[in-house]
Amino acid sequence: MTKKAILIPSFAFILRIVLFNIPTIADTLAARVEVVTPITSFKRLTEGLYLYENSVPPYDNGIFHQAPFLLVLFSALTSLSPLAIPIAYAAVDTFIGYALVGITQMKQRNYANAPKLEVEKAMSPIDPWTVAALYLFNPLTIFSCVSKSTLIFTNLSVVLSVALALKGDAIYSMFWVAVASYLSFYPAMLMPALVLIISNWTPSNNSTLMKQARASTFYFVAWLALFLVSSRILVGSWDYLYSTYGTILCLTDLTPNVGMFWYFFIEMFDQFRNFFLVVFQLHAFIFVAPLCIKIREHPIFVIIVLSGIMSILKSYPSVGDAALFLGLLPVHDELFKYARYGFLVTNLYLYSAALAPIFWHLWIYAGSGNANFFYAITLVYNLGQVLLLIDIVYAVLRRSYDIANPHTIGKEVVHK
Amino acid sequence: MPWKKLPSCIILFLALAYPVQSKLSGQKDSFQEDLLISPLKDGKLLAHFQFTTLVDAGGLDGKDGRYAHYGLFPKSIGQIIDHHRVQELHLTFTQGRWQYEDWGYPVAQSAGTGVELWAWMKSDDSIESNWRSLTNTLSGLFCASLNFIDDTLTSQPELSFRPEGAKNSYNHNEKMREGTEVRYGILPHENVCTENLTPWIKLLPCKSKAGIATLLNAHKLYDTNYHSMAIHIRPVCQDANCTSQSLELVQTVTSVLDPVRESGRRDWSFSSLFGREIQSACPVSDRSTVTLLLPPDEHEYQLTPSYDTITERTAQLERPMAVYNLSQHTEPLNLQMKWNEDQFSYPLQTSKPRVYAHKYMTGYGHERGGVTVNIFNNMNESQDISYFDSVPWFLKLYLHTLEVSVLGKVNIQQNGKFRAMSVCLDKLNKASNLGYLDIVQDLYYQPAVDRSRPQVLEMKLRLPPDSVTAVSIEFDKVFLKYTEHRPDANRGFDVGPAVITTLLPAGDDNMASTVLELVANRQVSSLTLDTHTRQNTKVYTEILLASLPTPDFSMPYNVITLTCTVIALFFGSIFNLLIREFKVTEDEVEEKKHDEKGDTPDSS
Repeated sequence: MTKKAILIPSFAFILRIVLFNIPTIADTLAARVEVVTPITSFKRLTEGLYLYENSVPPYDNGIFHQAPFLLVLFSALTSLSPLAIPIAYAAVDTFIGYALVGITQMKQRNYANAPKLEVEKAMSPIDPWTVAALYLFNPLTIFSCVSKSTLIFTNLSVVLSVALALKGDAIYSMFWVAVASYLSFYPAMLMPALVLIISNWTPSNNSTLMKQARASTFYFVAWLALFLVSSRILVGSWDYLYSTYGTILCLTDLTPNVGMFWYFFIEMFDQFRNFFLVVFQLHAFIFVAPLCIKIREHPIFVIIVLSGIMSILKSYPSVGDAALFLGLLPVHDELFKYARYGFLVTNLYLYSAALAPIFWHLWIYAGSGNANFFYAITLVYNLGQVLLLIDIVYAVLRRSYDIANPHTIGKEVVHK
Repeated sequence: MPWKKLPSCIILFLALAYPVQSKLSGQKDSFQEDLLISPLKDGKLLAHFQFTTLVDAGGLDGKDGRYAHYGLFPKSIGQIIDHHRVQELHLTFTQGRWQYEDWGYPVAQSAGTGVELWAWMKSDDSIESNWRSLTNTLSGLFCASLNFIDDTLTSQPELSFRPEGAKNSYNHNEKMREGTEVRYGILPHENVCTENLTPWIKLLPCKSKAGIATLLNAHKLYDTNYHSMAIHIRPVCQDANCTSQSLELVQTVTSVLDPVRESGRRDWSFSSLFGREIQSACPVSDRSTVTLLLPPDEHEYQLTPSYDTITERTAQLERPMAVYNLSQHTEPLNLQMKWNEDQFSYPLQTSKPRVYAHKYMTGYGHERGGVTVNIFNNMNESQDISYFDSVPWFLKLYLHTLEVSVLGKVNIQQNGKFRAMSVCLDKLNKASNLGYLDIVQDLYYQPAVDRSRPQVLEMKLRLPPDSVTAVSIEFDKVFLKYTEHRPDANRGFDVGPAVITTLLPAGDDNMASTVLELVANRQVSSLTLDTHTRQNTKVYTEILLASLPTPDFSMPYNVITLTCTVIALFFGSIFNLLIREFKVTEDEVEEKKHDEKGDTPDSS
């Protein structure tokens, strides 16, 4: 156990540092549209930082769309040493792996007395360090980290908020989810699920769900307001609100990514643009309430599904979002036996991973393909993610049904 | 009452003069026409037409009815500048590229390919709407697409495009600049043709019926290597103290013609170049001259008819100039020049101008790239220049990638005074601490905002002697909506030129404009070139073509359908899973199935 706990993180850390020091790999990844987006690009952050340090307003332009705290963070990091940034990235990613271990351990402790299937009683749950390894050695995670995408800080905040919620620490759990929402807006949808975690599994907590929800909402809003106001003080104007969240919501930058927004809104007729923007953005958020109600027994699972939804339906997704989703997925390892499309989904991921760079090259550099090639690949990638999500939601519902109705095992069950 | 501050004698003078002046305001106008012809070193021929109209502008403040009476000054222009509160206006239509390395500096101030408009306007709340209205009005007046100069192309230069009004009014009198702002816009893609020339000619008092404007034959004028027509409006002082001002309208046409192309010889005449002759001077003109800048050796050529006056060759002005005063000619003038040679042989070596620049794109692919401008200084002393570049928003510049470096030449490294180095904003101070002479003296940068304003990069540079300074910056190409592409999307988007403004003393490469200035100041008789006066020279680089990534324009419906299918699949499936419940099928059904299949039902 201790051997794993030393080997896995240290190897992951060293691997990342090595990759950072191979400029061809690091520079290529930093420029890939699949890995970095206009709102997470390190190159754009450098430009914003450069403008900020030369007292040009950093948010009055079409390049920099990231939160003001990142300016301060990187201003400090760059002043330390040129090595500080790679080390910070590698350390943060390794720490996310460590936090996943904690989440898995706490989840397994919480589920220890939960009803189980007969077949599961003989099986031991997944080793927490396997979960960490699956995250840390997932190529998507490594790509996202080495590209210096600032998404890693959002992922860190999400993971920390889940871990702290499992510990029952409402204030700091809300702090981290507020950080995540502040950095990239969409994680705000995780807030209700975190409230469920806190109220489900905090034994000392006598308060009802409603009381807990009210308190947590207060913490969340207070933290967020604090961040927004201190950002205002930091950069001197409210311009950053439109430049960061406005870009996310209004999709002013149509640079391609692995999501479904960019080509849709390049091709969209002008008069329907606003309508579809509202529909698409709302669509990302409408699943929160139904999932929290229907699967309230498994709030960690709700978090996983919501992070999957974010990685498909946010306006600027990248493989880093998928990395978080795929990293959290093994926490609920007991669902895998219900998965029906494993082979298909794996193939869709591999297919899009192989063809996305090729088709991008054909479109942008060779000129022998057009935009549809890359668009088709993003569709395949998203189809794979959609199937995976459908599959695990089916799995959790079916498993709950089977546990509640042991007598139906072996009988035909339909979905009505 | 601002006029109370004026000396009482001027008030008295104005009071006496006012009634007379208003009645005779038409007669206060003056009109001059000049044609400058200069053979260029590569066998081409520069023809520069210049028409100057002066009108008394009254006092400094624009009172109502300032331009109520129009004589020679075109009413359409007067009303436009009056209505939009324009102090100074420069509009240039150019086709082709001025070859600095072969031709020296152009006579006209503007030479950027396409249509360029810049104006100093009264800075009040309505300046933005005035500018929009001005571009639209001029667009209508000159049948050009000037209305496309919208916010996304308009910039406000801080260092370049300073007012060009008379020295007294601007350079020495800061008050004149107070309360005015400059707006600059360029349409590099705009084609210039007859429909722009016709309204331009209409502004002349004699149209093209008489005077040197007779030669403006559109058929011949557009069959040239380079063609540029412009109007420049600026206030000029009437006296040294600038107590009264005139409004000056200068209309120019510059053409570079190629007589060698047809015959292999450099011989030309008005009839061969323009298909016409000059019948007479424009009757209302004060001055009507044709000036010919002659080659240094007078045995090389023959000139018919003979000139009226010729200047002496001096040390500064190697080439004598012959002047024809049209008002003294009774017969039509068909100037002819014959060279004593069988065939023109191209010079193998051209003398390069002192400061010039080239701009080019770097990188490949539709994703990102870079722009580099090489600025050449061929002088033995360092030269201060202003660099201006306005880059449209669809190329996202990264200021942190800006590099200003001196491409090494031997003598630079030897004397150690200048060192090839990259200078960025933050490095400026470090460099000066180290004792190197800074190349970048000042930097002004305005980042772009998507779909609303361009990037503006301006620098004051000190070019080391005999050097090449490279300014380079990287950019990302923006992915546009399919409706934002031009109809010919795969041709790409034009990016305007970089403009370098510098003060140059009179010399070989800007002789033509020096001469024209002398003619305009009627100093022909006593021609002395003052080498100390420096000319404000603008150098325009090439315009660039940026190819942006294009979507498939035939796909809107397919994309909407396919994307919505994936989203509907997701929504539908999750919706089904969440609202339906698992149920065991009825036992009877199960048994029936069991009987039919003969095996156990699976649980999926």
